[in-house]
Amino acid sequence: MVKREIDIAVIGGGAAGLAAAIKAKEKGIENIVILERNEELGGILPQCIHTGFGLRYFKENLTGPEYISRFIKKVEDLRIESKLDTMVLEITPDKKIIAVNSVDGLLELRAKAIVLAMGCRERTRGALGIAGTRPAGILTAGTAQRLMDIEGYMPGAKVVILGSGDVGLIMARRFVMEGAKVEAVVEILPYASGLSRNVVQCLEDFNIPLLLEHTVTSIHGTDRVEAVTVAKVDANWRPIQETERTIECDTLILSVGLIPENELSQTAGIVLDPATGGPVANELMETSVQGIFSCGNAVHVYDLVDYVTQAGELAGESAARHVLNELPSLRKKIALKAGDNVKSVVPQIISGEEPVALHLRVKKPMRNVKVKMGNLSIPKRVVRPPEMVVINLTEKALEKLEKRDELEISIEEETEP
Amino acid sequence: MSDKEIVQKLKTEFSRDPELSKLQLNVSCEDGTVHLEGEAERWEQVVALGRLAAGVAGVRGVVNRVWPKSLPRPKKKRKIKEKASWDGMKVDVVIVGAGIVGASIARELSRFDLEVVVVEKEADVAWGQSKANPGWVHGFAGVDVDPKSLKAKLCVRGNAMYDKLAQELDFPFKRTGLLAIVTEEDLLPMLDFVEDLAKQHGVPVEIIRDREEVFRLEPRITEKALAALFFPTYGSTSPYLAAIALAENAVMNGVKLLLDTEVTDVIVKDSQIKEAVTDRGTILTKFLVNAAGLYSDEIAEMAGAREFTIHPRRGEMVIFDSKFSSLYSHNLAPATLKSDPYTKGGGIALSIDGNSIWGPNAEEVPYKKATGTTKRGIEIVWEKFSQFVPNIPKEAMITAFAGLRAATYTEDFHIAPSRKVKGLINVAGIQSPGTASAPAIAEMVLEILRKEGLHLEEKPDFNPMRKAPPSFHALTNKERERLIAEDPKYGHVVCRCEHVTEVEIIEAIRRGATTMDGIKFRTRAGMGRCQGGFCTPHVIKILAKELQIPIEHVTKRGRGTELLPYEMKQLLLRGGQVG
Repeated sequence: MVKREIDIAVIGGGAAGLAAAIKAKEKGIENIVILERNEELGGILPQCIHTGFGLRYFKENLTGPEYISRFIKKVEDLRIESKLDTMVLEITPDKKIIAVNSVDGLLELRAKAIVLAMGCRERTRGALGIAGTRPAGILTAGTAQRLMDIEGYMPGAKVVILGSGDVGLIMARRFVMEGAKVEAVVEILPYASGLSRNVVQCLEDFNIPLLLEHTVTSIHGTDRVEAVTVAKVDANWRPIQETERTIECDTLILSVGLIPENELSQTAGIVLDPATGGPVANELMETSVQGIFSCGNAVHVYDLVDYVTQAGELAGESAARHVLNELPSLRKKIALKAGDNVKSVVPQIISGEEPVALHLRVKKPMRNVKVKMGNLSIPKRVVRPPEMVVINLTEKALEKLEKRDELEISIEEETEP
Repeated sequence: MSDKEIVQKLKTEFSRDPELSKLQLNVSCEDGTVHLEGEAERWEQVVALGRLAAGVAGVRGVVNRVWPKSLPRPKKKRKIKEKASWDGMKVDVVIVGAGIVGASIARELSRFDLEVVVVEKEADVAWGQSKANPGWVHGFAGVDVDPKSLKAKLCVRGNAMYDKLAQELDFPFKRTGLLAIVTEEDLLPMLDFVEDLAKQHGVPVEIIRDREEVFRLEPRITEKALAALFFPTYGSTSPYLAAIALAENAVMNGVKLLLDTEVTDVIVKDSQIKEAVTDRGTILTKFLVNAAGLYSDEIAEMAGAREFTIHPRRGEMVIFDSKFSSLYSHNLAPATLKSDPYTKGGGIALSIDGNSIWGPNAEEVPYKKATGTTKRGIEIVWEKFSQFVPNIPKEAMITAFAGLRAATYTEDFHIAPSRKVKGLINVAGIQSPGTASAPAIAEMVLEILRKEGLHLEEKPDFNPMRKAPPSFHALTNKERERLIAEDPKYGHVVCRCEHVTEVEIIEAIRRGATTMDGIKFRTRAGMGRCQGGFCTPHVIKILAKELQIPIEHVTKRGRGTELLPYEMKQLLLRGGQVG
């Protein structure tokens, strides 16, 4: 077995991992290795051939491949080592990594710091419990995207999409642009799960019907998907039988949520947050295990890649400071708890002494609200579940904040003064 | 009773039933086989007719051709004529069906100097009932089954053969035992009686009357547990890996396995089997072993010798996350007085992979392709078993699946030479406990063939041993290193969730997998958390490369299930018209 001592191991070469590696290198760390299980760097971005990336980070409208190639080039320019087609099998709490590939065989890396940037995976049919047969033609939106936009093949010609997550919306447009018919996008909620801009640009501009408060109740067809049954749902998401109807199609695409990938975090004994599915992280993106940091969609699923990059940079910088023995442990620890209409918040632990950006997911859409955090109250015009709510806790705000061991963040309606 | 008396008795029975008496039926009986024809109102009536007929003394089999007016007849699949690659092949025995039963018979026959061919309509081994069940190796056929019935005898005998078989063929098998939990007071005085019944079956049982002892064996079992029956011989296996192992060993020893080949006709001359006609050519043979599961009645019909009808009984099962499943260490089942004679009632199986599999329930369905799950079925399974294992939450449900039992109306196994056509051996009605019985069924079929005149001469070079391909995820790091040194592709993990390597996928293809599902069942690639989300594109490419076929021809599970039917821009070039 190849055994090596390294400074920083970055698990995952997508947007988060690349940003972390670049930042750590710029901070003066030499011995960095990126471990990537795919055959190329970039994570999911090489298959996201639409635009809309980089508006915040680069102030430019880029495609996924354009966005990520800038980081890949930088990794190459900085001569950061990356191992492709390399699967990490296990991470121990004392930061030993067992990985495997066909060039080195089994690898044992002992790292001073680890950055976890494994990204996320798609929720599947089994998790939804849709009844019916198991024919060919049922796949998740991301898999369909890879098959079409990387491999160059179409999984079907007459499509129903279940779930209105961003990947599903993007794929609705891709299918139509490639000559397939999209019969409907079916969403159980009373509003789309994806970004508003995607609803407009991917569905409305292409006359694709969006069936809100509907779901797929059954799949038909023995060999190939032949049809799906859709029904309207009641307030408790239960299908209303009288509203059932059949839509003929040969393909059912699922875009029903993303789950942070944290099987490795679990082998390392890291504490996970049930609300996000990712590690509990402090404002330096450090997990419950000292010297292991986490960032990107492995922590919680972001709406924009620009935020993923920023989180990666923060985790990379913290990992570098850890290696250089410059990383202070938080003198104070304030645990942030999700209150009314807050689904999750990252980071979950702050010091209250350094400025920090909080990323919140809300449960339901609301207008004219204030985000309450202890004695602080920050007004927001609108909050929607698909869009991350970002709260910048500036030095000024922190001065005002009454610091307690635990602070609840809630979103309340603004009452007229 | 004579045929005439049987018909008379049946007509009386039907006329007593307020619903069935209204149906226009044609009832006849030939040599103890009842034939029913006509139209019914509902499927339940069809099943009721068959069951009534089977219940009459002297009836050996029921051929039930009654069909409900309101239901469309099953669609015949459009036959695609394939290249007649097997045309003119001459063999000693054709086995129809490569489920665990057909594969067991094939392996048994491969001991002898014979030309044997197994014809399977699916693209891989074990894709009928053998794939769609929880993996029990039953200790016996159940207390409510006649201990003198064929399935009672074959189950106990077959179960005892599993240790040697699993060792020779290197498939997973564990004797985990079954703990039947008693929660009903009424049952306590009857435990001695149950013990007695078990003795009649020849299955060992231990009665645990001490409640504390039950909790010592299963600490997290329902508080309502009062006592338990422990059946130590119950085991768990992977029925499809067992069938694959049997088929591979048979092939090693000279048997030909023709996958994706469907028998479309059986030619009989002078009451003797002559030819098996398939969609890939005609095979000449004197013996045809009908192990076609759900379709065994249709195969017998082709030979003009139908003695039974298969009525599919669907069972739905639910799989739970192994994280929760590991809280329990036995196969579990509720011990109950309320018994449905048409199912053993299912249970809480501890699968060989560490998952808890609940079910199956039992529901009569008209169609042989009705393997879809239903919301109601899943709910029934949940309601029935969740009370016994309170530590498994509903959120731990990974997925649900359904299988169809190939039941005859007499409900026993039907293993016998045809009374009409020489050379036709029916091995039909094999439902639960078919997995446990399979090795004993094979033994029995061998004896039938011998009696029917098949010359059996043992081959000196028969090799009973077969090795399973290494599976990366189950190995130690030392063993992994050794494999990677042999073939670096062992270092390339294709399925991230289950840690399946490229070599395992290539090896599965080398051993006969030609489809995505074939790879999945043989290697577990695509069975994990992401359900193939990440590895599907890679596996498709490996399949295309190894099989030397275009990407568009790679299928989920055979003809008609192509995964990527169009190349990019193909639809646009056709103006978006799908045709």
